[in-house]
Amino acid sequence: MAGADSPSAALQRRDLCARGIRLAGKMRADVINLLDTYAERQGLDASANVAAVEGLPLAAVEGWDEQTGTQRLLENLAAYRAFRALLAQMLEEHREQLGEADAALGRALAAVLLQVSAFTYHLEELLRLESCGAPSEEEQEEEDGLPPQPHGLFEQKLRGLGVLRELAQWALRSGRDLRQLAKPSPGTGSAPSPAESP
Amino acid sequence: THIQYERVGADVTMKCGSMDWDAAVTWTVNGTDIDESHLNGSYLILKNVDLMQNGHYSCYEGSSWHLKYQTYLRVGTPPKEPVLMCRSNNYPKGFYCSWHLPTPTYIPNSFNISVIHGTKEMVCEKDAVPKNRCHIRYLQLFSTVKYKVTLTVTNALGKNFTTLTFDEFAIVKPDPPESVVAKPVPNNPRRLEVSWQNPSSWPDPESFPLKFFLRYRPLILDQWQHVELSDGTSHTITDAYAGKEYIIQVAAKDNDIGTWSDWSVAVHATPWTEEPKHLTTEAQITETTSASTSSFMAPPTTKICDKGAIVGSGAVAVCWTAGLVMAAYSVLFI
Repeated sequence: MAGADSPSAALQRRDLCARGIRLAGKMRADVINLLDTYAERQGLDASANVAAVEGLPLAAVEGWDEQTGTQRLLENLAAYRAFRALLAQMLEEHREQLGEADAALGRALAAVLLQVSAFTYHLEELLRLESCGAPSEEEQEEEDGLPPQPHGLFEQKLRGLGVLRELAQWALRSGRDLRQLAKPSPGTGSAPSPAESP
Repeated sequence: THIQYERVGADVTMKCGSMDWDAAVTWTVNGTDIDESHLNGSYLILKNVDLMQNGHYSCYEGSSWHLKYQTYLRVGTPPKEPVLMCRSNNYPKGFYCSWHLPTPTYIPNSFNISVIHGTKEMVCEKDAVPKNRCHIRYLQLFSTVKYKVTLTVTNALGKNFTTLTFDEFAIVKPDPPESVVAKPVPNNPRRLEVSWQNPSSWPDPESFPLKFFLRYRPLILDQWQHVELSDGTSHTITDAYAGKEYIIQVAAKDNDIGTWSDWSVAVHATPWTEEPKHLTTEAQITETTSASTSSFMAPPTTKICDKGAIVGSGAVAVCWTAGLVMAAYSVLFI
């Protein structure tokens, strides 16, 4: 297997990053559309404040420009694995509550879940290329635990809103992370220098 | 020195320090005696004040001319709700907020701004210039928690405030593109080549790429053509009207978030046109010389000659127009 710094690995990284950026962009656009539809169908205000959702990975990060490439990939991977579980749960709840009554929303949720799964796999590929290897999902579940079950129907709906909103932010962040990763870096796992303040 | 602030339209009563109401006093404003009709005993009464009553008021005891009281009267208004704007033109470094009052108060105002992100209070560092602006560095990126900015304006006559609440990405608006250049394309009468640069305030175009919007129209028309460009800092217009001067502008936006910049400074350009050929045949020269020698005009020598050919070949190249002119003169002076 080529070392992380070899020319072929660098080309592969750039190619994977470029594809990842496109995937993230498409995913974000679809999630934003779904967010509007979801809020409307659930009778919610799309800009409503949502209380902290347990188990929801937050995209907000301090010192973003100082992160290493490996840090970025690991945080992204952990987030999308969590979203995969959260969206699967949302889909199941949706089917239990509404069945075929709102099939379109169910299909849209399933489509986003598929994109999240694909992006997760893409991140795992990138981590393999970095010679880091992705942590196994069993290890991660032991660390993070499975998402807890929400209580009432209204809480479920609000939780869903929070999940989609945070996923849209993650998709935005992932595009930026991959652009940083695609920049030529001085050494293995080291972050490129942040831009100087104007 | 004491300053007294009063609202426009108010009635103002000034007492002469500790002097009794029935004491004999003289009031002056800016050194000029005030007519007794404005006095009620020793009190000075100013009704329905406006900015014209601004000034230095003094009260003197009648006989001794001792100064008993003085004040500066400043007439103004309490502040109306301020206008506040926040914007990030250097994402992801930070953002700035700027403000102004919709109408002047005519007296000094002080501004206090608070920025809250979730539960955290952030410091907005005031700029030296302009004074009504402050900036904040982003401590977090990609947050879904909104920012809440409250600006309070206070003066001696009252206070007012306004609040803005926004998402990190909603206020991102780059500065316009810089160094816009438009050039004709040689031998292409319908093309114009336009290039520009990212705004210098945008710190990291590689990780946060901009997309661009170009608009152009011939000066003689009002309707703009628009082109959106997802990457690159140049574009070739291929449908320009031949020979018409164009006005061209470019705007920028982050690829994913925020709003479009203002339009760049406008540039003008005209597509390449072929220089008209001057028709100097022998027949025309002959006709001209037989009609009238005084009306003969030597044709401009640049019309036919290719400058490059002349420059390149020195004494050897013969511009055939120049040759014809010489021939014509020869005919005239035989």
